[in-house]
Amino acid sequence: MTVSESEVITFIIITLPIYMAAFTLYAVRALKGPTIPDTVLAIDAMTYDLAAFLVVLAIFFRSPILIPTAIVLALWVYALDIYVAKYLESKEMGE
Amino acid sequence: MAVPAGLDWVLVIIGEIMIAVGVISDLIAAIGLLRFPNFYVRLHAATIGTIWGAFVPLIGAALVAAGADFLGRYRWFMAGGAVITAVLILILGPAGSHALARAAHRSKAAVVQPKVVDHLEEDSRAPSPKEEGGEESEAEVKEGGEP
Repeated sequence: MTVSESEVITFIIITLPIYMAAFTLYAVRALKGPTIPDTVLAIDAMTYDLAAFLVVLAIFFRSPILIPTAIVLALWVYALDIYVAKYLESKEMGE
Repeated sequence: MAVPAGLDWVLVIIGEIMIAVGVISDLIAAIGLLRFPNFYVRLHAATIGTIWGAFVPLIGAALVAAGADFLGRYRWFMAGGAVITAVLILILGPAGSHALARAAHRSKAAVVQPKVVDHLEEDSRAPSPKEEGGEESEAEVKEGGEP
């Protein structure tokens, strides 16, 4: 018995509004954050979750081309963390 | 090529449970990030959103993609890419959070407003030579004061 396609798609459709609510709350903190580390932390958490969301969307749309975007997104937000940490600590961007 | 009969449903159900756990903890982390009082408490919520909200649903998505026949030939590519992304997030997320926390404390960019005690700030502000193991610090002070 093969896996029914409609069951998986229905499950993903149910999870979509919860993802949207979580991203909205993350965006509120990112826009409102009183200090720079708060903003960067909210963008950090939101982008890691966006990478997971992209993989779920790749199953939903049946398009494997969305997978490399998730890897690139995870690596770039780590670079954002390190750059902001370095700038805050020594007020310069490095080399 | 194909997963043995019956095992694909097991993969899909376990993966859907992991995605559900990830989505719920994602929402919890977002609420916590919005409601907690200062930066150092918000770090706790943000790391919940990183590991439980990104690592766990990525592994679950890999299991779903491995079990779902309707994705065609590329489902193994999707499963492998999801596992690689999950391992990258498992390594890079805590490293980035630690670097950000250390930089925020050293540069005093984030104010610790409802504060009970901050030993790290006391240590960095006044390295007193009278504490335990004071020989090294005394020697350092003497060397520094000589010229």
